[in-house]
Amino acid sequence: MIGMVGARTIGGVENMGRFARFFLRSMIVSVRTCASVPAYPLIWTQMNIIGVRSVPVVMITGAFVGMTLAVQAYDQLAGMGLEEHLGVLINVAVVKELGPVLAAVMLAGRIGGALTAELGTMNVTEQIDAIRSMGTDPVRYLVAPRVLACLLLTPFLIIYADLMGIVGGYFVSVVQFGINSRAYWSFSASGVELWDVSIGVIKGVFFGVAIAAISCYKGFTCKEGAQGVGQACTEAFVASFISILALDFALAVIFKAIYNTFWPLKSLV
Amino acid sequence: MNRDGETNNANDGALLLLKNVTKRFGTKVVLNAISLGIEKGKTTVVIGPSGCGKTVLVKHLILLLRPSGGEVYFKGERIDNLTETELNKVRTHYGFLFQGGALFDSLSVKENIIFPIRQHGVITDWEQVEELVKAKLAMVGLDGYQNYYPANLSGGQRKRVALARAIALNPEVILYDEPTTGLDPIRSDVINELILKLQRELGVTAVVVTHDMTSAYKVADRIIMLHNGKVIADGDADHIRNHPHPTVQQFINGQVSEDDLAVLRMSGTVSQAQFLPRDFEQ
Repeated sequence: MIGMVGARTIGGVENMGRFARFFLRSMIVSVRTCASVPAYPLIWTQMNIIGVRSVPVVMITGAFVGMTLAVQAYDQLAGMGLEEHLGVLINVAVVKELGPVLAAVMLAGRIGGALTAELGTMNVTEQIDAIRSMGTDPVRYLVAPRVLACLLLTPFLIIYADLMGIVGGYFVSVVQFGINSRAYWSFSASGVELWDVSIGVIKGVFFGVAIAAISCYKGFTCKEGAQGVGQACTEAFVASFISILALDFALAVIFKAIYNTFWPLKSLV
Repeated sequence: MNRDGETNNANDGALLLLKNVTKRFGTKVVLNAISLGIEKGKTTVVIGPSGCGKTVLVKHLILLLRPSGGEVYFKGERIDNLTETELNKVRTHYGFLFQGGALFDSLSVKENIIFPIRQHGVITDWEQVEELVKAKLAMVGLDGYQNYYPANLSGGQRKRVALARAIALNPEVILYDEPTTGLDPIRSDVINELILKLQRELGVTAVVVTHDMTSAYKVADRIIMLHNGKVIADGDADHIRNHPHPTVQQFINGQVSEDDLAVLRMSGTVSQAQFLPRDFEQ
């Protein structure tokens, strides 16, 4: 029993170490790739696959988040006669937390699974070895364009999710519950700061890198056979999901500390 | 010509050289202190039963796998201690035909062949690239298939396209991993003829991993047999045909060993191993 726990712990630490090396190498190669004009078509292709095709699902996610928040929060606020403040609650929650996190989770499912399956299949059919045998770095050719595409486009996708969340929340609040439109926007504008929107978007950079790096790593290290690829996809999604939540927590703490440092009085209010 | 145990000491002039190479996967030793030189301009065939480490051996020649112990040399330079970036330059001297072809299924035949050229920027004139692709495909008898995708090709065609891609950078060494596996005898012979043609016309050094003895006898200047992680036979086709080692004779004649037969006899009759409808009745 103790031996099994020990072996699993060592295995987990080794795996973390391998991922850390892969991640560091991917970041270095990605930075270099930014300066390599011949790699731009590869990045462009991935931006289309990862970014453009994800817009509809991310927008739908955002819209439902905003609408659900409105439905859930209306009764509590209306009970206190504060229903016109609903916009503040919905929009702060959407742009700061729920929009970025749920859009990233949606991307982890849509993109992460596809990246792992694609690279995993390339791995088991020796296509990654073929790239290496031709004197090309597979990290530069396969990983860097995907990391860069995720890094660049996840923040934009979060903006789409935020936008639709705001529209969805407004629609339910004003059209369904009959809240005064001008009051809704007025309270929203006073309660939501550029800072709130910015931290949601900045989170997108971290979420994007985490999704791409984890998915590519799982694809590169997947075991042989259909079961191996399937297992890698599952592991990639679970690891991405946990990373998104952990990063969200860590970034919330960091951003709060930064906010308190620069605007100490405002944070008290 | 090297002969068996003597193989390994007189290899200083070899294009490719393995010195005491050992490879372990966990506790399993796949290659056990193998020393082997690959002569320039010759075709060396590595034979052995499935799972004996032939592919592992050939992947060590191009460092797709790193040895657990020992050294690998290319043109007299040690390469097993190079970084991946440094190795990438060395690998441009190699062509590798993978067992399944390993064509990029998202790229067309033309794009597959252009891939290594584009990666190394050998040619920038696109008309010249088109001509080069045409020439490479003509060499393997598939000119006109430029715009096909791997999914639309038969197994033999895929291997021929993979071969065209492997020779795109005019390599000095071509490594073939089971080039005829999964092909019918006629397609296998086409691949054998291509291996001979490339050796004749381009003068490349070839290493062929196979367990197809017809292919081995046809293309080999030298045959090496691996067994239990060791080289147990090394010589030309006649030397191998007349080799006294019983494992070599069993392998080249396709005979099952007495030990394997004993295991089969002990495992009972086929009827005992079959389920009958009554076995599923309550």
